[in-house]
Amino acid sequence: MLFLQLLLSGIQTGAIYALTAAGFALIFGATRIFHVAHGASFALAGYAFLACSQMGLPWFVGCLAALLLAVGFGLAMDAFIYRPIQRHEGSFFTVFVAAFGMTIVVQSLIELGFGRGFVVVDSPLTMARAIVPGLYLADIFWVAIGLAVALFVLVTLFLERTRAGIGLRALSENPELLRAYGLSSRRLSALAFGLGSALVVPGAVLTATTSGLQPAIAAQVMLISLAAAVVGGIGSLRGAALAGLLLGVVENLVIAFVDTQWSSAAGFVVLFAFILFRPSGLFGQAVAR
Amino acid sequence: MIAYLTNLATLATIFGILAASLNLLIGYAGIFSIAHAVFFGLGAYAGAQLAMLLVPDLLLACLAGGLVAGALSLCLALPALRVRGEYFVAASLGLQMMAVTVFSEAHAFTGGHGGLVGIPLASLLGFDISAPPTFLVVCLVVLALVLVVIRVLMRGSFGRSLMAIRDSESAAEAFGKNVARLKTLAVVLGCAMAGVAGVLFAFYMAFVNVESFTLEQSILVMAMVIIGGTATLIGPLVGVLLLLLLPAGLSFLPFIPPTEIGSVQQLIYGLAMALLMIFRPAGLAGRSAGQR
Repeated sequence: MLFLQLLLSGIQTGAIYALTAAGFALIFGATRIFHVAHGASFALAGYAFLACSQMGLPWFVGCLAALLLAVGFGLAMDAFIYRPIQRHEGSFFTVFVAAFGMTIVVQSLIELGFGRGFVVVDSPLTMARAIVPGLYLADIFWVAIGLAVALFVLVTLFLERTRAGIGLRALSENPELLRAYGLSSRRLSALAFGLGSALVVPGAVLTATTSGLQPAIAAQVMLISLAAAVVGGIGSLRGAALAGLLLGVVENLVIAFVDTQWSSAAGFVVLFAFILFRPSGLFGQAVAR
Repeated sequence: MIAYLTNLATLATIFGILAASLNLLIGYAGIFSIAHAVFFGLGAYAGAQLAMLLVPDLLLACLAGGLVAGALSLCLALPALRVRGEYFVAASLGLQMMAVTVFSEAHAFTGGHGGLVGIPLASLLGFDISAPPTFLVVCLVVLALVLVVIRVLMRGSFGRSLMAIRDSESAAEAFGKNVARLKTLAVVLGCAMAGVAGVLFAFYMAFVNVESFTLEQSILVMAMVIIGGTATLIGPLVGVLLLLLLPAGLSFLPFIPPTEIGSVQQLIYGLAMALLMIFRPAGLAGRSAGQR
């Protein structure tokens, strides 16, 4: 029973990870920018929701504020950090350090504004009920699963069916050719950042109501998205989502076998093993070394 | 005041060794590791254990710390040989996260969260060197040695091959360089030096726990190297001085409450990292791209 309980909470965590990682993979897939400040978008969205509910605003206003802030931050990173760097050099290393710096900035701003402690938004959805004797489940579980599946289907449809979605996929293949066809790579990369950053919002709001937020969540989410993107195969949306789910489940299931302190390390053992033995990930193409 | 300055200088020297050793990886070899605090920690724990169980001799402890850190750095060399760029960063992050858990759980070796308390005073060949000014001199000598080793190696064939690999791995391989051996050597050397810095740190603080070897510490050291300037001898030292003096200087500003200093300091160095990458990617002491 413990095993099943852990599996269920693992799936809930995994659904949140999956969406966040899918956003990261979407941005990387289209623009080839390793957006490590993705975790910062997540933290900003979560705290925006928190601030709104502390002011007594209804939940959908909070979600809207979270969405606006996350998308705004993603677009600003693209316009003011990544594009100036790519204009003169654009090595992976430079982009990574700058994004990392901005993550630290966001984290310390949140610390200054909200303090370092854990904060949780109360919601009636998180009340756990026994669905069968000995097995507890809160309604938020269904919300998380439903949102994750619905959004993932929507994003996949968008990428495969719409003109802008096909443009996004073309951007990752060959930016020059894209320009020759009269499409703006700038506008498309802004679209990728907007859409990818929007995908953190459900995860951020759900985390705010379930396990709670703290300033360091920016770094944690960054690590998880990074791990999921690598395990899934960098740039593969499907892979990142599946790997996010896998990491969430592994993190929770190991509690059945070892102490809880090891749970967050377990995800990274998976990551490390993948890099050593299958660097192309679940769905990636073989890596050129 | 003198005691305060000696304290600051000793810490700066120890971090100078740490930053110089990371520069060997990031700057010269192009191995972008965010797990450097792990090897700093391994050295510190190994040195402390040796001092507590056998003799508190600094030379032996440095040997032990360097050996342990160097040997376990193969965990970092392995992914460095397999993958590059984003993948390696992810691997080193994974290693850092695993190591923090191991550090806080392996009570026999690290003392867990409580850490190792009561590390005996340092001695060197029977002489007591634990007085703060003496210890500072010892640290400075080690720093000078490390810098000389890095300079000599980087001027020689080893360094040139390493930088060739950094700039174009396939070209270096085509010229017959043994990429795997050179990279492994660079990793082992850099991490062993970090281990030595850890030993000095352990003796100086007389107490070590996992708090000093977390991801935050790795990032701080990385920020020191990058802000100062990678692939230069003097750059990491500039970065160390700036980032260590920053909190010291901030504590003199009356309008920042003491509890917020940590956050304000982080805010400043995060911003500095981002802005430098946009306007001066080679760092403060580095040559800009046009002069190269």
